[in-house]
Amino acid sequence: MLSYNHQICEIRHNCFSLLTLNEMGPITMTKKYETEAPGYTMTTVMEEAARCLLCHDAPCSAACPAHTDPAKFIRSVRFRNVKGAAETIRENNALGAICARVCPTEKYCELACSRSGIDVPIDIGGIQRYVTDFEQADDMHILHKGDSNGMHIAIIGSGPAGLQAATTLLEKGYSVDIYEKNAKAGGYLTYGIPEYRLPSNIVDYEIKRITDMGANIHFNTIIGKDMTMDQLKAENDAVIVAIGASEAKMLPMFENNDAVETAVSFLARTKQAKGNIDLPDNALVIGGGDVAMDVVTTLKKLGVEHVTDAVYEQFDEFRASKKELAGAEREGVTIIDGYVPESVNGHTVTLKHRHINSEMTIEADTIILAIGQETNAKNLGIKLEHGEAPSAGYKTHDPKVFITGDIAQGDKTVVYAVQKGKEVAGEIDSILGGNRDDQ
Amino acid sequence: MINKDISIDFLGVHFENPFCLSSSPVGNCYEMCAKAFDEGWGGIVFKTIGPEDFEVDEVSPRFDELTKEATPFVAFKNMEQIAEHPLKQNLADLKKLKENYPDKVVIASIMGPTEKDWEELARLVTEAGAEMIEMNLSCPQMTSHAMGSDVGSNPPLVKKYCEAVKRGSDLPMMAKMTPNITDMVPAAKAALAGGADGIATINTVKSIANVDLERKTALPIVNGKSSVSGLSGKAVKPIALRFIQQLRVASGLEQLPISGIGGIETWEDAVEFILMGSTTLQVTTAVMQYGYRIVEDMKNGLMHYMEEQGVKHLSDLVGLANKNIVPAEDLDRNYKMYPEIDWDKCIGCGRCFISCYDGAHQAISWDEKTRRPSIDTSKCVGCHLCALVCPVHAIHPGKIVMKEGREGDPSKIDVVSQRLY
Ligand SMILES: Cc1cc2nc3c(=O)[nH]c(=O)nc-3n(C[C@H](O)[C@H](O)[C@H](O)COP(=O)(O)OP(=O)(O)OC[C@H]3O[C@@H](n4cnc5c(N)ncnc54)[C@H](O)[C@@H]3O)c2cc1C
Ligand SMILES: Cc1cc2nc3c(=O)[nH]c(=O)nc-3n(C[C@H](O)[C@H](O)[C@H](O)COP(=O)(O)O)c2cc1C
Ligand code: SF4
Ligand code: SF4
Ligand code: SF4
Repeated sequence: MLSYNHQICEIRHNCFSLLTLNEMGPITMTKKYETEAPGYTMTTVMEEAARCLLCHDAPCSAACPAHTDPAKFIRSVRFRNVKGAAETIRENNALGAICARVCPTEKYCELACSRSGIDVPIDIGGIQRYVTDFEQADDMHILHKGDSNGMHIAIIGSGPAGLQAATTLLEKGYSVDIYEKNAKAGGYLTYGIPEYRLPSNIVDYEIKRITDMGANIHFNTIIGKDMTMDQLKAENDAVIVAIGASEAKMLPMFENNDAVETAVSFLARTKQAKGNIDLPDNALVIGGGDVAMDVVTTLKKLGVEHVTDAVYEQFDEFRASKKELAGAEREGVTIIDGYVPESVNGHTVTLKHRHINSEMTIEADTIILAIGQETNAKNLGIKLEHGEAPSAGYKTHDPKVFITGDIAQGDKTVVYAVQKGKEVAGEIDSILGGNRDDQ
Repeated sequence: MINKDISIDFLGVHFENPFCLSSSPVGNCYEMCAKAFDEGWGGIVFKTIGPEDFEVDEVSPRFDELTKEATPFVAFKNMEQIAEHPLKQNLADLKKLKENYPDKVVIASIMGPTEKDWEELARLVTEAGAEMIEMNLSCPQMTSHAMGSDVGSNPPLVKKYCEAVKRGSDLPMMAKMTPNITDMVPAAKAALAGGADGIATINTVKSIANVDLERKTALPIVNGKSSVSGLSGKAVKPIALRFIQQLRVASGLEQLPISGIGGIETWEDAVEFILMGSTTLQVTTAVMQYGYRIVEDMKNGLMHYMEEQGVKHLSDLVGLANKNIVPAEDLDRNYKMYPEIDWDKCIGCGRCFISCYDGAHQAISWDEKTRRPSIDTSKCVGCHLCALVCPVHAIHPGKIVMKEGREGDPSKIDVVSQRLY
């Protein structure tokens, strides 16, 4: 039998992908929330790869923040070497299957794609997803722990930045302990991005690869409370702070109101329960970024009939990505743009337009605030301004302590967190001088 | 990234991997070959070198491509002859390549109109440091009929020129054979009788790829006219594999060392040539279309394949398919296998229905209400045309039955689907 890299006849997800949603059995509301859009089959991925122009100096690869090298892995697919493609992705990006699904590709690789000069960019995320699904179906083990160099690194936070830093350090021979305040690893991968965009089994699998390599994760451990920074410093050769912005912002008028929940709390709760939560009939969401889009789309997918999103910006100034906004609109969310909350009384919120003379009152069963997240760096002894390091780079005033991920300067996305994770690991290694031959 | 030994010995020369540039513009000068080595090729066959006094005078333009739907380069037609650079420069380039790339294999391709030229060229390239010689007995578009495929299809001449080369050099030598011949065996045997150590094949297939409907001539058009000339690329792969198979099963040639050429683009193509009896592989058209970089996926894919197959040495794969390709009269004709439709995959396009009706045995009927096919086994002959046209690969090998009056156990019959899933 002929097959690209002869060993796989069928990747389960591929046959599945030829079915429509209706054919997958009775649709329950959580099914819609739990079901990811279908991916490519062997035939359709080749059709997409055949559209790639195989550019010299490929701009897609130059535009990938984590250097996942799409031009190279697409070329491998094109030349029927899916295993080679998987190696390229995995060696450059420990969260390749996650990035394939959640990267805002329209801002990075696909924005740069030369194919846009003809029609539309190559679906780089889709091809990356196909390849990493293949890697998982074939149970490939591409990354390995390097020979031990006897040095120990502690990482605070198991979000994408901490996970990638751990991977790179393990490859270089360091032993790695990750301290995580939650019961599960992954940061916003596990407690934020909704199931229909990022299935938890994908996240769990990517994390398992890293723990299989030797990362030791200590759950339910808040550094600064359950253990001190001094303790970590004493026990390790370096400490990386990768705590992200894991707490929700609040507006004073909404405090101590039973009808109010924050977006990250709602999304975390929903993802952990796989969508099996008590639902309101009517929800008001406040905020207009990607997180707000995730909240309104989740509510709709779960079957909440009336979902209204009040957004500070007007449509022409929207912060949410076009893709996310389109997703929300498809689900039938009512968006009122240009309005800010003026006052709240129990379940009733009064909103006022920012420019024109207009006021409206909405009564909702639930009010969800999606107005941003902030960092809690209590007792960690690092200096942050607006949740971010005051200067570029990963060093802090303490030579043993480094920062990475969302609290380092740069875009606040998963793929940037991956790159920042790789870079902080590289920087520590160049200072500690671990495995010289690995560099 | 996987790393496995894919080295192989061919005619006493060690190749770090079996992938070589075939003689053509892709290995025209020092800089090109050096770049190819840097990007990972194991060997190069330098562009064919002719005698000092043979004037190469090329046409412009000189290429054409066969397309199908949106796929370019299904096949590639060229009207090029041999090296345009002066003999001296070519020899200097060979020398420098060998000096700077001692672990890579530098092969000189030569061609001449007389015995004296062949002998002299063999001597010169040997002095320049080439490790192996390839005799180009196969270019189909030479302006001189004393050279090229006219020679390669004439066994006595082949033998004579091989002997001449052997007088000029004791390097291992392969004779590059033309496919513009019904049976390659006599020419190959003549080459061996003349002292050749192995065979390289195929060179290009004489062709006309496209006709210009306005000017009423073939492409490419050279001031209003065109010529029959050599076809290469993916479409010639089946022709190459057929010749290689037939060489390897000819009596006395079972162990014939072969460098396989013709339409190789991917690691899968390469493995096909190896299973058919090639020890090394040569590539031109895919490099002209995509660049030297294609060797990365050829090597990597080959390593993964060896890993999957549990094969330690590449040489263990050479010729494994030869014994399974038998004369048509020796095939098992006692059974037929019906196709089976996977309803989870079928999208109801009706292509199987059309092809079965118009191109096979009217064994598929079409339900206009459900828009789904059904197969009538009383009419189906088991040709599996339907499986080949189905866009979603929904048609699989199904039930096997013995033909009436034939003996046999259907469960013991070895079949697999040909399609990708
Ligand atoms: C709802 C939502 C949707 C998003 N969608 C996308 C998207 O589609 N694409 C995209 O690229 N980006 C998206 N993002 C952004 C992305 O998730 C972040 O940029 C990324 O997770 C940052 O990674 P990080 O490792 O720096 O931090 P985080 O993912 O925030 O992880 C930090 C970890 O540190 C732990 N921690 C914090 N403090 C302590 C402590 N003191 N002790 C121990 N552990 C601690 C936290 O529990 C958490 O696990 C989204 C974010 C949200 C909230
Ligand atoms: C433009 C062009 C020039 C070629 N020149 C030579 C040559 O000088 N000597 C030779 O032996 N073969 C020559 N060939 C034939 C190739 O070496 C090779 O045998 C043939 O193209 C089939 O392989 P491919 O399908 O990988 O191209 C040439 C082919 C092409 C396309
Ligand atoms: S830029 Fe686009 S067309 Fe060019 S190599 Fe990258 S994906 Fe292919
Ligand atoms: S490919 Fe290069 S040499 Fe050939 S016509 Fe184009 S520019 Fe000129
Ligand atoms: S060709 Fe395939 S998809 Fe189309 S009707 Fe036939 S079985 Fe179904």
